Amino acid sequence: MGLKDERHAVRPFAQQIEGLQADTFQSALLFAPELAICMTIVGLLLVRILAGRRVAGAAVALVGSAVGLGLAIQQCCSTMPRTEIFTGMLVYDELTVFFRIFLLAFSVLFILFTWRSGIPDREDSPDIYTLALGATLGMCLMASANHLLIVFLAVEMASVPSYALAGMLKGRRQSSEAALKFSIYGAGTAGIMLYGISLLSGVLGSAHLPTAAVRLAEELAMSPSGETLAVLSLGGLMVMVGLAFKLSAFPFHFWAPDVFEGAAAEIGGFLSVASKGAALALLVRVALGFGYLPQQPAAMPPGVTVALSSAEPASESPVERSRIAALPAGFAVQTDEKLPAATEKAPGESPLEQHAGADKSHAAAARTVPKTRAERMAALAPARSFMGYLIGFLAAITATFGNLAAYGQTNIKRLLAYSTIAHAGIMMMPVAAAMLLAGESATGTAQAVGAVGFYVVMYLFMNLGAFAIVAFLRNELRSEEIADYAGLIHRAPGVALCFSVILISLLGLPPLSGFVAKVVAFLPLADAGWITLLLIGCVNGFLSLFYYLRVVKVMCMDPAPDDAPPVRFPLLTSVNGWLVLVLTVPLLWFGVLWSGVWDWAVAAARSIL
Amino acid sequence: MDGAIAYVPALLTLAWLLPLASFVAVVFLGPKMGKEGIVGGYVATGAIAGSAVASWVALVLWVSSTTLPIIEHHVADHAPSAADEAAAPAAEESGRVKPLVGRWYSLSPPGLPALGLGYYIDSLTVLMFAMVTLCATCIHVYSLGYMHEELHDVVDHEVQLSGKSSHGGHGHDELGHEAQGHDAGGHGHDAVHGNHLRRPGRFARFFQFLSLFSFSMLGLVIAGDMLMVFVFWELVGICSYFLIGFYRERKSASNAANKAFIVNRIGDFGFLIGLTALWGSLGTLTLGDVKDADGALRRGIFSQVRAPEDGHKLLVPMGMIMADVPDKEREKLASVYGDHAWLDSEEARATSTMAQVRAEAEQWRTDPEKKTLGYWLLVVAGIGVFCGCVGKSAQFPLHVWLPDAMEGPTPVSALVHSATMVAAGVYLVGRFFPVFTPEVLLVIAITGCITLFLAATIAITATDIKRVLAYSTVSQLGYMMLALGMGGWAAGMFHLITHAFFKSLLFLCSGSVIHACHTNDMTKMGGLLKKMPITAYTMLVGCLAIAGAGIPLVIGFSGYYSKDAILAQGMNFAHENGVYSFLLYAAAVGAAITAFYMFRLWYLTFVGPPRVKEIHEHAHESPPVIWWPLVVLAFFAVTAGWFEFIPRLLEQARPLGTAGGAGEGVWWAVKHPAESGAYSFHAAATMAAFGTALAGFLLATVLYGWRMLSAEDVRRQFAPIYRLLWNKWWFDELYDALFVRPVHVVSRLASGIDKRAIDGAIDRTAEGVKRAAFFDDQIIDRLFVDGLVNLTAQWLYSIAAWLRVVQTGKVRQYVLFIVVGTVALFVLISIWAGSGK
Repeated sequence: MGLKDERHAVRPFAQQIEGLQADTFQSALLFAPELAICMTIVGLLLVRILAGRRVAGAAVALVGSAVGLGLAIQQCCSTMPRTEIFTGMLVYDELTVFFRIFLLAFSVLFILFTWRSGIPDREDSPDIYTLALGATLGMCLMASANHLLIVFLAVEMASVPSYALAGMLKGRRQSSEAALKFSIYGAGTAGIMLYGISLLSGVLGSAHLPTAAVRLAEELAMSPSGETLAVLSLGGLMVMVGLAFKLSAFPFHFWAPDVFEGAAAEIGGFLSVASKGAALALLVRVALGFGYLPQQPAAMPPGVTVALSSAEPASESPVERSRIAALPAGFAVQTDEKLPAATEKAPGESPLEQHAGADKSHAAAARTVPKTRAERMAALAPARSFMGYLIGFLAAITATFGNLAAYGQTNIKRLLAYSTIAHAGIMMMPVAAAMLLAGESATGTAQAVGAVGFYVVMYLFMNLGAFAIVAFLRNELRSEEIADYAGLIHRAPGVALCFSVILISLLGLPPLSGFVAKVVAFLPLADAGWITLLLIGCVNGFLSLFYYLRVVKVMCMDPAPDDAPPVRFPLLTSVNGWLVLVLTVPLLWFGVLWSGVWDWAVAAARSIL
Repeated sequence: MDGAIAYVPALLTLAWLLPLASFVAVVFLGPKMGKEGIVGGYVATGAIAGSAVASWVALVLWVSSTTLPIIEHHVADHAPSAADEAAAPAAEESGRVKPLVGRWYSLSPPGLPALGLGYYIDSLTVLMFAMVTLCATCIHVYSLGYMHEELHDVVDHEVQLSGKSSHGGHGHDELGHEAQGHDAGGHGHDAVHGNHLRRPGRFARFFQFLSLFSFSMLGLVIAGDMLMVFVFWELVGICSYFLIGFYRERKSASNAANKAFIVNRIGDFGFLIGLTALWGSLGTLTLGDVKDADGALRRGIFSQVRAPEDGHKLLVPMGMIMADVPDKEREKLASVYGDHAWLDSEEARATSTMAQVRAEAEQWRTDPEKKTLGYWLLVVAGIGVFCGCVGKSAQFPLHVWLPDAMEGPTPVSALVHSATMVAAGVYLVGRFFPVFTPEVLLVIAITGCITLFLAATIAITATDIKRVLAYSTVSQLGYMMLALGMGGWAAGMFHLITHAFFKSLLFLCSGSVIHACHTNDMTKMGGLLKKMPITAYTMLVGCLAIAGAGIPLVIGFSGYYSKDAILAQGMNFAHENGVYSFLLYAAAVGAAITAFYMFRLWYLTFVGPPRVKEIHEHAHESPPVIWWPLVVLAFFAVTAGWFEFIPRLLEQARPLGTAGGAGEGVWWAVKHPAESGAYSFHAAATMAAFGTALAGFLLATVLYGWRMLSAEDVRRQFAPIYRLLWNKWWFDELYDALFVRPVHVVSRLASGIDKRAIDGAIDRTAEGVKRAAFFDDQIIDRLFVDGLVNLTAQWLYSIAAWLRVVQTGKVRQYVLFIVVGTVALFVLISIWAGSGK
């Protein structure tokens, strides 16, 4: 294997193990929130076995995710440079922290809300929360993936529990059907994604994203053949398919409406917010990972640098570590032989200088190989525009399709499903803009990526709020049909008001935070000069007007039928009401005082550039 | 900075927000507060009194924790020499107290500079707060007594109803407050009483607007951002609209409210242009230097226009130069400097490239051809902001609204004419003083001069007691503007403060008289001195103060000091700019006229034989709730100028870089001398002011006090001039002919076109559309669109139905979509890539 390589043979095996130990230990510190989640999962299983039904699973899960959230927030306070952990499989930076806090905060809210809505009964609840936390763990990995294998593993880790969650209403045929469809669809796209990953890492010789990006730059600089280009774009496209499935982007959204309708509203909330947020983070990671080289190469965990460099200073480079990481898949050997010139190249400047002597002979052979970051960035321009236009194209049709398809819906969950598809499209737009801006302006890129983060946070309140109200109303009305909400303003005025606020925020009217989110999502498009996409986005805002307002109209203007069941849902005197308020009030708050979250999101985005 | 001063922003914020709290409380609970909302009045009064306490505590804290600069009374032989001018900035630094600047809320659109709500507090702010809250408190207390008739149903004798049929029209409430405000009293609707309108009282509503008015004015004063200034500026405008039109059933009142509002909009149009010029070129509307969200100190308007590195000299800021440089040079600059980077001036100024750019810009500034590069923008900004002030402070040619504004209840007039509204314009000119170029200042001075003379002459002939006071306000505002325009910053601000005290006193006194006599007409009064001595003597104090009475060079009423300061600066200015010495003469003549018409008013009202018996017999002294505020205000009208306290306090706030004078004009030959130079003219100015005021006083005494000459004879002698003045120089008629009539003609024309041509066309079009719609409905819609939609729907539904059933074969197909989608995308990409190359 790779160890037979000359350079590796130099390093004693024991030292390498020692280095790996230090690396794992240091990495685990930065991985603490996820570890807390792991512990919670184990705890839940133990509770199931030992305590039976005496201890509520929700309580354990709540404590666990709260601890995880606390750890994540604590990380937010410490300033840590961008660091690659676990031998470069994951990356720790402020964006990781941002999305981690987002996911764990969501998890806490989700547990609170499901606890109140009563969907996981005492019998089920440890299972449900085990699955949900498992998925959350996968999503955290998605947000910090730095390696194509982790990309795949994380997507699977987030998806597989979701399949089971979708089928949680065991008694309902629709639910089982949804789960089956979801899993089959997921399996199909996962297969394609895995194929794409193997194509990409095959051509590029590494699955480690920064290394692969350098290779890609070199490939593109040396005017590759049409075949190579085709394989590269096919690989990129196939990876995109896997991400599009998670984002429920057209034409890989087919699962979404059925799953959302079939699964409980709680699960709908989980899939639409957390899963989508993580998928967007992953999209940013993969897209920027391939199309952009950070100004500062990522550091290694503090202790590890010493351990590895004391053993052998020359080999301290991400390439080395990536090779270790790539070993299980066995790509390294094959590509080393295929691209002898490229293997020596490291992404950072300093390793390059260290290798300068060794590279001289190769440099003469391949004069076009880009050496500096600027050259590489220039070489990556076609990759960026490829991804930018691909994502933008998918975003445009996804948003349009989602909004149009939402029209005829009579079931609120199905309507929200299409709404989430549309929103996924909108949220992909700043990513597309970020790809076009990446080569030109770091500020612009940071704002585009920050817009994604900001939108996701606002979306948390909007969509979780919407699904929470749907779930609570389901408990009262025994129905999820829009028509049954008629006259809700008289029957439960507080909740009808909150739901209206949430829907109008989803629609994106000022002064609600949905509007601000849309504005910051569209501004990068203007910066990037992609006016067509901007117009499509605006037209979509207009299209969504009707179906959101139709629900508001039914609630507020249509008379209630005479035999309408009473709704006991006081806003201020019940815990459910307070939960709804906790999710609604931020929409008003952030609609006006949004600069805090915005600045945080942009700062997080800036850290990866 | 001293510790205690740190509490000042919090105190002022409290003082600012208390009236808002009261406004909200009274709006929602007013009618339910006690009988007929009487408690609403107490709430509002309590809130403003609380504001006053907070403001005065802030003032005390401020004074105790800063050192008041000593004003040197060096009587220089002549105008300050060059050496003095050079020394001036240093002296200024020593006396000045750094303003407290901060931001509460910042709206920062990504990629754009921030807009914010913030504060800018210096001694001027604190002083204004103390003055505004004190006057407003007095006026609130006074209103508790004065507005008592609003506590029950009011029969408005000034509204003639033609019959019951017209009642519906009056019952309609344009503000939508009626039902909310007064149904609680059980009266429901307006009723016709005899031939007059009978309506429910509006006690609570009156106080609700007073509270909002006070809040708006205080917000304007504390504002640290021009956008916030503008917001509160408009709030003040709308409040004045509500209050002037308080007796909205009276045609005259609603017209006056409209007039005030519309005339102010004309000024605000200029204001907006000015703001846009600033925003577009400087990228900020903040006055002081405020830290941004990212922690970087961003330069405000003041330090961009008068940069510290230029020694606070007024130079065209970089932003304006950049906005005005030829494209070629801008490209050159952009190549060194980076695109749009001038917005981040703080960051850029530190870098060396910025130094190069500055050096280059410096060359342009000195280059005779490019000397005025961007200068016009500075002038536009200044004139624009001043336009707003012209409207708000009722300066020529927009002065026409203020005299009509007395249609509101008298306490409102007092508030509008002293502490709020009109004070806002002068205050803003003072606040924005460092940005005005000498040219703009000259425009301000000339405007003020025309206004003061014009209004003073009109006041001579007016017989309505409030109208005399209204014109005197216009005239005094002209004084302030003139002072500011001549570079007398402290003089103008000083006069603003003293004027607020004596003018609110005068108005409240006139209100007391009106309350006693039930008429505004001075020709029906007379001999009231015995009947209402407190009112008479406090009013005498007001008259003496406004006339600037005092023992020359020893002691005097407040107006004596402030008017002296203005005249001294006028002499100083005239000494430097002989061409513009007419400004000084107008001011001096104005002082004489002021004394004349004020004493004419006092004599006509309080001495001589009673002209109408019934009125005199019914007159009586007002209750204590009305005369106590008079006494308080009279005290301040006397003492506000003593010990040079206010001038010294103002000296702390003097805008940086203006102590050495506002500089020389670039376009016009005008030079603004340093205000400190005015002290050499102090004695002369005092004597001149005293002499002119004495002349006016004597003339009034001869005509109306001793009645040695018949006023009637004099009037006949000067019949044409009398007519001119009586008709207010025909301004209303002029505007009516110039603007109102043409608008009416155009609107009638437009409505004619509308009715005949457009309506006809629309009718015909509608008919056509109807037919087309029928066709569309029958053929296109039902056949094609519906068909297509149905087809699509069917198709979608069939897919949905198809997916709804779990069948192994179908799921395979379902998965097939993944493959189809991927392949389709790949094909699309290939086509795109192929066409791209």
